[in-house]
Amino acid sequence: MNIAATPRYACGRLASSVLATLGMLALAVISPPAGAATAASRPSPPAHSALTASDSALHVLQRFAYGPRAGQVAEVAREGALAWLDSQLAADGRDDPRLAAIERRTPALALDPEDWARRFAAARRAKREGMAGEERAEVRELTGQVRALVIARAVTAEDQLREVMAGFWFDHFNVFLDKGADRYLLPGYVEDVIRPRALGRFEDLLLATAQSPAMLFYLDNVKSVAPGMQPARRGDPAKPARRPVGINENYARELLELHTLGVDGGYTQQDVIAVARILTGWSMQPPAQGGAFVFRPRAHDFGEKVVLGARFPAGHGEEEGVRLLRMLARHPATIRHVCEKLCARFVSDQPPDGCVDAAVGAWRASDGDMRAVVRAIARTPEFWDEQAIGSKVKTPLEFVVSAVRAVGAEPDSGARLADAVARLGQPIYRQASPAGYPERQEDWANSGALLARMNFAVALAAGRQPGASVDLDAILPVTIENSALVDAVNERVLGGAMSAHTRSVIVAELADVPDPVRGRALAVGLALGSPEFQRQ
Amino acid sequence: MKLSRRAFLRAGGLAMVSYGMDPLFLARAVYAKPGASSRGRVLVCLFQRGAVDGLSMLVPHGDARYYKERPNIAIPEASVIDLDGRFGFHPALAPLKPLWDAGQLAPIHAIGSPDPTRSHFDAQDYMESGTPGVKSTSDGWLNRFCQHQREHEQTPFRAVSFGPELPRILAGSAPSLAIGDLRAFGLRAPNDAARDRLTRAFEALYEKAPTGLLASSAQEGFEAANTLRRIEPDRYQPEHDARYPNGRFGQSLLQIAQLIKADVGLEIAFADVSGWDTHVNQGAAQGQLATRLGDFAQALAAFAQDLGERMNDVVLVTCSEFGRTIAENGSIGTDHGRATAMMVMGGAVKGGRVLGRWPGLEPAARFEGRDLAVTTDFRDLFAELLDRHLGAGSLDAVFPGRTADPTRYLGALRA
Repeated sequence: MNIAATPRYACGRLASSVLATLGMLALAVISPPAGAATAASRPSPPAHSALTASDSALHVLQRFAYGPRAGQVAEVAREGALAWLDSQLAADGRDDPRLAAIERRTPALALDPEDWARRFAAARRAKREGMAGEERAEVRELTGQVRALVIARAVTAEDQLREVMAGFWFDHFNVFLDKGADRYLLPGYVEDVIRPRALGRFEDLLLATAQSPAMLFYLDNVKSVAPGMQPARRGDPAKPARRPVGINENYARELLELHTLGVDGGYTQQDVIAVARILTGWSMQPPAQGGAFVFRPRAHDFGEKVVLGARFPAGHGEEEGVRLLRMLARHPATIRHVCEKLCARFVSDQPPDGCVDAAVGAWRASDGDMRAVVRAIARTPEFWDEQAIGSKVKTPLEFVVSAVRAVGAEPDSGARLADAVARLGQPIYRQASPAGYPERQEDWANSGALLARMNFAVALAAGRQPGASVDLDAILPVTIENSALVDAVNERVLGGAMSAHTRSVIVAELADVPDPVRGRALAVGLALGSPEFQRQ
Repeated sequence: MKLSRRAFLRAGGLAMVSYGMDPLFLARAVYAKPGASSRGRVLVCLFQRGAVDGLSMLVPHGDARYYKERPNIAIPEASVIDLDGRFGFHPALAPLKPLWDAGQLAPIHAIGSPDPTRSHFDAQDYMESGTPGVKSTSDGWLNRFCQHQREHEQTPFRAVSFGPELPRILAGSAPSLAIGDLRAFGLRAPNDAARDRLTRAFEALYEKAPTGLLASSAQEGFEAANTLRRIEPDRYQPEHDARYPNGRFGQSLLQIAQLIKADVGLEIAFADVSGWDTHVNQGAAQGQLATRLGDFAQALAAFAQDLGERMNDVVLVTCSEFGRTIAENGSIGTDHGRATAMMVMGGAVKGGRVLGRWPGLEPAARFEGRDLAVTTDFRDLFAELLDRHLGAGSLDAVFPGRTADPTRYLGALRA
């Protein structure tokens, strides 16, 4: 076995060769604890896992949380990795005073969809009338709060899994903040559609997104009308009608390709057209009237349709759309497609078949309950395989949030951390493509962005990163003994993931830094900018 | 070249100590020919995101139907800058007229995608993936060109996008660089000594990282930052009195010119410019679109001016995901259509001619009775530029699904 060929950062304090030997002999089955495997269909822990309790803790915190808080690896190691995950899965709106404080300080959260619609309409009016517009500045400020909240919640929330899943589903059902009405529809979409269902049933989530004005506007379903429909004329009858008369396939196609069946899910262009016809009339009220979801029978195509061989008889309205969505949610291609994405997120960019099979099995057994699916994924041998440990490159959001958590920093209420994430290549809520942000390392490991990550790491550790207040004293004592300092950085900040090489480079760099406070900041900055910390 | 030799040696050294290297990086090092001078040819690709109104850029002022369909937003005959009696520039494109007169610029009319989508993201996606109608393509056509055309000087600056994110068109396994601002690229530190120190430390951290992609990306980043320090981007002065407009797009073109002149091996440059989705109050000779076009033309003209003789090595091409409706809409704007206009510019361009086949504006000649029909597949233009300007070997891999066929080329470049 060639150690150098295998990316593996969770070796922690064990020398690689020792660990490899243990792995080959299948001796040291320390964690995850066997007792934690309760409701799973697969055995746990897998017999060949050679991870220590703290390496197991780090692994679950890297995948089912935004990385460990400073010192959290030791806590979770004591509790047991899978026991921690089970408590995350069981969590249901537990008291989280720090999170509650953050939500309280965010005025944008207090607005309901009608408030947003009213403000947006006012801003649009101001723009039309050429006013500089306090209203427009206000909407900008509010959407800044909404972007900032993503970071603050991900950093702070005790229910980390909920935040991770909310992020996953937002990408899966992506909506673009800068497209017209989505500037005011998106906040409600996040709060009322995605977040409450982040650990719920897939079918509920699919239906809720399909009936959300944010999605219907984003993917043009609001423009999709039955062929031949005559829209009510407003204004000057001499002017040509603006509205395209006929179906718009945009949402129908992405619904099949991205949200449900997957690009190879076996549907045809005729299916896309039939789906678009079924969803004609799924629309929204104008902003001035609140912008809520509405079904418009006038715009609906009441003819017969056939989707994937299933007949939708003539004469049906909104309910045939619901029937269609329920059918899609339970389709085998959908289950496989979404499980592959979940396994790509939690296990490996190329999701192993065994893991996907386990997820599919749990989905079927639970009727698409995400808690059951996540629980099953975490109990597959593939999840604990050494090939999977530390194998995924963090997205810019994951990198920034995990760094802020690792040094115990507090995000402020401004959008400057969100701006930092944008500069690293992942502007929050600003992915125009309906595919959402990608998951593969090739998409994130470009050289310019990597240098920018190093800059962020150094600035954060030195307390120079706007938007986050850092107090290293709270996590690391000032010491003049460099070797001990770097060991403490490894344990407290990197969760034990530091390689021997990284350790020796940092120790060498500290050799001629006389000021221990500066030395500590440098050590933390290099650790956060190291290859280990780019991975999870 | 010093740079390529250094990079080659480094890659070779790395290969010995690290088993997990990105194979592409090694492959490139093997294929790179240190010392063999690249021809220094550059393709600059500019994306007008949001679907520019080709009928306003390149006005069919000889066609009465154009004026009939656009009572409020047509460019008045008297304002059009006539080019060939049938077509003329929007008055805001006046800075480009000298390039047309010098035979260095050719517009292409009625060009676009074979896929009829009117969705911005689908159409942009197809124009960048180079595979219209196929969503599953993971990389972009400019990146595929780099993947399959390996005999190029070893440099991190081979393919550069100006902007914070790598665009779809450059996504893929061949290394490419996204640079928001040349002046801010690299590690930040209060002074040079501190920056050198930090750079050395991070280089050491990543040098032995058994993580192919991260290691090679970091190496390229450090190479690029070192080179940029040498060329001192903050001291750059455009030549020949070239004046770039303020704003991100003008600055992107300025920085592209700078990289070309610095001889760092730039072969592919990409930048995008938005603001073309003129559904409402588009304007005519003046107005919203005129302002955008004026800025656009000024930036292109300044670029050509600045580069002077070097434009002989450069071909610049503009593109946009689709065009806009022939008829104006109820909001004195235009909606999503089909074909648009693009432009090629450079010393190698056989300019002073409007290229492409004009389908006409008659309802029977339109796509779906509504929009300007596409008579040139955008891939045929791009293929000609890759083939004739950059000497691409195999285009089948760059544009799968479109068999390379020189008889379909527009003749945009001098033979």
